[in-house]
Amino acid sequence: MVFNDILASIIHDMKNSLGMVLSRLDEVADELPANANGSSKIPGIQQEAKRLNNNLIELLTLYKIENERISPIIDEINVQCFLQESIAENLSAANSSNMELTYDCPDDLFGYFDEVLLHSIINNLIGNAMRYSESRIELSALENDGYLVLCVEDDGAGFPEAMLKAQQAETSSKGITSGRTMLGIHFARLIAQMHQNNEKKGFIRLSNNGKLKGGCFSIYLP
Amino acid sequence: MSIEIEKLRFLIIDDYADMRGVLRNMLLSFGVVGIDSVSNGKEAIHNIETQRYDVILCDYNLGEGRDGQQVLEEIRHRKLIGVSTIFIMVTAENTRVMVMGAVEYEPDSYLSKPFTKDLLGQRLSNLLNMKADLVEIEHAIDAYDFDLANRLIDIKLEQKSRNHNILVRLKAELAIQERNYKEAAKIYENILSNREIVWAKLGLGKAKYYEEDYIEAKKIFSELIRDNERFMAAYDWLAKTQQMLDELKDAQEVLRKGVTLSAKAIPRQQALAELAMRNGDEKTAEKALGQAITLGKHSIYKHPSMFSNIAQLKAKRGLHDEAKWYVKEIAKNFKDDQEGKLYTAISNSLILEDAEAAKKNMQIASDLFHELDGQVSPQIAVDMAKACSHSGNEEMAKEILHQAASNNHTDAEALRDISDTMGDLKLEKDPKKIISKIKNKVVALNNDGAKLVRSGKLAEAMQLFEEAAEGMPANIVVNLNAARTFLMFMEQTGPTMQLANKLHKFLSRVEGVEPDNRAFLRLKKRAVGLIDSAG
Repeated sequence: MVFNDILASIIHDMKNSLGMVLSRLDEVADELPANANGSSKIPGIQQEAKRLNNNLIELLTLYKIENERISPIIDEINVQCFLQESIAENLSAANSSNMELTYDCPDDLFGYFDEVLLHSIINNLIGNAMRYSESRIELSALENDGYLVLCVEDDGAGFPEAMLKAQQAETSSKGITSGRTMLGIHFARLIAQMHQNNEKKGFIRLSNNGKLKGGCFSIYLP
Repeated sequence: MSIEIEKLRFLIIDDYADMRGVLRNMLLSFGVVGIDSVSNGKEAIHNIETQRYDVILCDYNLGEGRDGQQVLEEIRHRKLIGVSTIFIMVTAENTRVMVMGAVEYEPDSYLSKPFTKDLLGQRLSNLLNMKADLVEIEHAIDAYDFDLANRLIDIKLEQKSRNHNILVRLKAELAIQERNYKEAAKIYENILSNREIVWAKLGLGKAKYYEEDYIEAKKIFSELIRDNERFMAAYDWLAKTQQMLDELKDAQEVLRKGVTLSAKAIPRQQALAELAMRNGDEKTAEKALGQAITLGKHSIYKHPSMFSNIAQLKAKRGLHDEAKWYVKEIAKNFKDDQEGKLYTAISNSLILEDAEAAKKNMQIASDLFHELDGQVSPQIAVDMAKACSHSGNEEMAKEILHQAASNNHTDAEALRDISDTMGDLKLEKDPKKIISKIKNKVVALNNDGAKLVRSGKLAEAMQLFEEAAEGMPANIVVNLNAARTFLMFMEQTGPTMQLANKLHKFLSRVEGVEPDNRAFLRLKKRAVGLIDSAG
């Protein structure tokens, strides 16, 4: 076994333990009365554990992209179903931090993408948005000029100038060291670019002052 | 939500007690009361045999014994669960692409750990809605009523269903099942003209393979591997295709790569072993067979030929005790099975050093083989022929192979196996020519019969097909033609007991091999109608 494989299998094991922690935490949150001693600390723990989990999944996926040359498994996906599942996955974390998590998508919208890879991006984006938004996060999807656009929007203060600039850099692995959110951008861009159709390639866009007045992270898939 | 989850019966299969607890709590929180949980495949199968479940949540890794995929294969193969039962495979990571299309039975959904209870709830609700949308179609397919299934699919497609892609996929798969490869290829090409979707591309490759356009099929499967190294189904199909193109060394190399990436599929190990044996690479063959047997302990893919072949390889290396051990395993694993007994005798005749004992076993094998009265799979015929040739009875070997060829004159893969065996055993100088002669003879015979029917000489056609069917009892086309002429005759002149019995015999021969054969199903319907109307 080479070092990379050991690393991957350890990450894997960590992910499993963490999965158990997360499930048990959900149960505790359900069982404790809202005003019980310490119950206010649970959302914080949940959020951090989820972030850790998302990071591990991201790492594993990056490992696979590098080592196993995986390519996206494109299928025709009902986007509403996809968004509903993304919300369900993050619902308890959102509830316990009093965050409203909604979606806006026509029920007959179909997209062509790798469901699993996109789920991991959306989960990360929701995780980040939860740290910066005031009270609301919305997932939305629409078709625009031959692209399916998936957006995660929040009502926080928006992305800092540095991040808006960073999105321009086409190959930006340099920026990774400057913070975890940059890794998130890199990851999302990488996966978006892996989605290709004819001459078109996927990409990401960050903007501020959208419908909810906060940050808006969009993934364009051809 | 239109379907109430709390009323459903659940089975949880996980070897890890903590995980069973977590899943149970999630279900309890939805208000579900009917929950059973078990820790291994054996208990799971026992439960499913005795109790109906609406949803089965099964972990892929189950420690010792069967894994989740083997549980699924067994319960679907034995029809222990109906089409309305939802099977969800819980996996530690996303292994979708590895099993996609590479296994015969796929779960309704994969759920990768960890997941929250809300995600489980959402997934269940989506799956239940999907099942409700497709249930009529799945029932029609389950009852082999493909005409109805196709009609229902077309109606749904016009209604712009949420399950559009599943419907299109089903339609194409039905076309393959009906051997309407042109139609299947058309559906897949239509999807691919819009998007590069892997299951559609795999499907197109299969359709080309069945149409015997091996060059095109090879191109498609090679591209799939180039674009996704982990798409295991493409390896299996590429190797099959290369075999048809006589590229045996390349095919073995493809499967060698395949098992390096994913060693767990038994059919893949079997295919590798067969190729390696043909290529004279006995070391690889032995290893692959050993793997197939270990993995297949609890699998529906377990077959006596695997034990027989490895015993022969061991004996050849002078490992006589090991060889004998494997032969004993046949009796243990296939207790009352006629094929098992035949394989025990075949293997003994090949591995025993005591010439007398070997000869005696050959006699047993030959008696058992004749008891089967020609109703044998091409694989058994090939293995039996090899044993005959080994014991010096070349005439019998030849006869068995000729019969197998005429019994399977439309099955390209079987004909290839038979032709290769003829060559390997040096029974024929030009096996391919012999095979094509046999094939042409059966085709001509069927044409003659059809001509007789067309010119109204039904009695003559009946005689011709009946004789042909007795000579080729396992030939699907001949038996179908015989059944058809007998049926037509009775439809004109009224049924008699004697004719009806013969009709039944022809039909049940087809049913034994291809219960989903479309022509058979149509004839059966007509036959039932005829008998009913006669009172």
